[in-house]
Amino acid sequence: MGSSASSAGNKKLSGKTLGYAVLVLLVIASWAVFKVITPGNFGKPLNLLSYFEASLMVSAGAVGFFFVMVMGMFDFSIGANIMLSSIVGAVLASRFGLGYPGLILGCVLTGAIVGTLNGLFYVKLHIPSMIVTTGLALIYEAVASYIAGGQSATLPSDLRAFGSMPGNLILAVIAFVVAYLLLNYTKIGTYTYAIGSDEFVAKNMGINVNKYKVLAFIISGAFFGVEAVLTISYGSSMVAETGMLSMSRNFYPTMGCFLGMAMKKYGIPIQAIIIGEFFLQIIYYGFVALGAPTAVNDVISGLALLIIVTLTTKVSKGEIVK
Amino acid sequence: MSEVRLQVQNLCKTFGITKAVQNVSFNINKGEVHALIGENGSGKSTLTNMLTGIYTIDSGHFILDGKEIHPKNQVEANNEGVSIIVQELGTLSGLTVAENIFLGHEDRFVKFGIKNTNAMNREAQGLLDKYGFGRIKASAMVDDYNFEDRKLVEIVKATYFQPKIVVIDETTTALSQEGREELYKQMNRIRSEGNTIIFISHDLPEVLRMSDTITCLRDGVYIDTVKSSEIDEDGLKRLMVGREVTGDYYRSDYGEKVSDEVVLTVDNVSVPGQIHDVSFKLHKGEILGFGGLSESGMHEVGKACFGASFDRTGSVTLADGTHINNIPSAIKHSMAYTSKDRDNESVVMNQSIGDNICLPSLDSLTSLPGVLSDRKMKDFANTYAAEMSVKMVDTDQFVSDLSGGNKQKVVLARWIGKDSDILVLDSPTRGIDIKVKQDIYQLMDRMRKSGKSIIMISEELMELIGMCDRILIMKDGAISGELMRSPELDENSLIAKMV
Repeated sequence: MGSSASSAGNKKLSGKTLGYAVLVLLVIASWAVFKVITPGNFGKPLNLLSYFEASLMVSAGAVGFFFVMVMGMFDFSIGANIMLSSIVGAVLASRFGLGYPGLILGCVLTGAIVGTLNGLFYVKLHIPSMIVTTGLALIYEAVASYIAGGQSATLPSDLRAFGSMPGNLILAVIAFVVAYLLLNYTKIGTYTYAIGSDEFVAKNMGINVNKYKVLAFIISGAFFGVEAVLTISYGSSMVAETGMLSMSRNFYPTMGCFLGMAMKKYGIPIQAIIIGEFFLQIIYYGFVALGAPTAVNDVISGLALLIIVTLTTKVSKGEIVK
Repeated sequence: MSEVRLQVQNLCKTFGITKAVQNVSFNINKGEVHALIGENGSGKSTLTNMLTGIYTIDSGHFILDGKEIHPKNQVEANNEGVSIIVQELGTLSGLTVAENIFLGHEDRFVKFGIKNTNAMNREAQGLLDKYGFGRIKASAMVDDYNFEDRKLVEIVKATYFQPKIVVIDETTTALSQEGREELYKQMNRIRSEGNTIIFISHDLPEVLRMSDTITCLRDGVYIDTVKSSEIDEDGLKRLMVGREVTGDYYRSDYGEKVSDEVVLTVDNVSVPGQIHDVSFKLHKGEILGFGGLSESGMHEVGKACFGASFDRTGSVTLADGTHINNIPSAIKHSMAYTSKDRDNESVVMNQSIGDNICLPSLDSLTSLPGVLSDRKMKDFANTYAAEMSVKMVDTDQFVSDLSGGNKQKVVLARWIGKDSDILVLDSPTRGIDIKVKQDIYQLMDRMRKSGKSIIMISEELMELIGMCDRILIMKDGAISGELMRSPELDENSLIAKMV
């Protein structure tokens, strides 16, 4: 009955180091490849800074979405949430003259309300989260379109401090720290992992599973609210799209979360999401620099994700993966 | 007169039309190990699951130290002074050892919403050290530890807060001898502190050795409560089954010659990190036993024979020269396998009994080519469920509703229906009551006599001695000895080759 983890502490440390090494290597390798191909218009320090700023936006949402994904649920209303939250925030900030408080509270609270609705509909209707959030996304899009008068909401230039350095960095770092603390230093984080591991056992341990599932959606929604602040501040306006067009915004937060899930075993999911989103933005801008069509970019990004997750996920022989 | 700790009063629980517990009443005293015995499906686990908040009570009462309790989950049960150690794995992956120990009780480490991980780890480590499990690190992920060590974590989790009652539900069947000794030590400690243990086990000698009082349930009904010192094993069997059970439920024949015809040849089979250079031959009509310590590699031998091992080298060959390298070819060539891990590897829990029985035989249950016949499937399932006397509502019932013994009957019914010639049975009677055990032994004997060949892997030495024509002992991944069937063969002969 020998212990199989006599040096578990050391193992974890080396796992973390390995995880960081893989992530940093990915960033350097992707930068190096595009730098060699298009040395002129890619990868200078200033370029890297702008890629990083772009990654901050999606990372801020993805770190919250991780709570939903760890529990084994999904959210197809990410894009609709960001769109609706941005529009509400912009309208409160400019049309109602509430300034920055209106922008931040409007976006974050709207995101949290969207998350609450997602969570409540999911636990009350007992239908898969994918279906619930897809249905609700259509409604959120319609509401956003109604608020924006069928067009777009614009944020005045004097309210766009979170669209550039250092405002965006400060807000994103606050989001990362909050996510990290929630995951590692609160009951919510422990219960998130517990429910993701075995919902039945978690329930028997007295954990109110439905409550924490709804809470995960609320946290996720609020972080997408932060992403909404960063997004509309960066882009100055948000077009109210309908017919599920908002789903294109689902891609990067979801990709980042997949990386976070893959790196969960190394104990650095939040860090993996942040660095992973940066890596994905390098690929994106690398293809932009190359002048490649969007479709090629999407294919390569998708393949990159599959390769990374395959290489970093340690699946034991015979382990069933669903 | 001992002081009463728990009064069970007129307790009832039904699942659909199944009456799992019917108007059960009895008392449990302070400072005693109180065993609950009964056949699979007799209501033991249902009763303790109600006590620990896993199931709700339909009617009746639990009175603990004079106060009625009705916990809604395990944490509420813990707060009332009741905890449980279950048979299967009860720790959660993805959490640290400390987080598992204090799951549901984190509030004492939380200040202003922030959890003091260091304090939690320190306290958990202190507990692990105190229990003598210091090699387990509180801050490590519980995933880093093997099944046995995770059970030790559960022992700490269930007992560190000095509960008034600890339920130990068939835990020992999942543990090696060393793990059992650790558990017995803790049981004695809890009893010496004046607290109570409700002990569920199918191992009757263990029940007699470890308990002070024994209560027997049958078909959800209370039968009797007796003092351990005033009853013997046969008396317990009589209580459980409701009639005389002869002691010799193993085979009684000795000296029968096993056929020379070899049906399976295993040559230099190795699985990295598990077994190396294992070679043997299985004969027609033979029951070949594999014994050893839990980690000796014997369980992997069964998988390797059935083509279920990864990275296996060496060969497994049938009499006609067919090489068995994967599961489909094993099944196609009339081989069957039942795993030790019944719930995860043998039954499909959320499918019906009928579907489970029909699974490997679907090709022969069609009306038109490629189109399954519902009638044929129903007939097939009903026939073999009846042959194995599965205790069920009907074959549409989910397997997850069945007790351990009845799940095992479903697994065996599946392979009997397939009419397999070579059966690899890994721990076929694990966690199974005396009556079902007897049924399985008799079935094995009938199969042997009809020319079927069986590889029986077991940690229960007595059943190996009682059932097998030949026993191969495994040690450190290799065969360390061979013993032939004989009335003189005893446990000591096997143990000498195991350690």
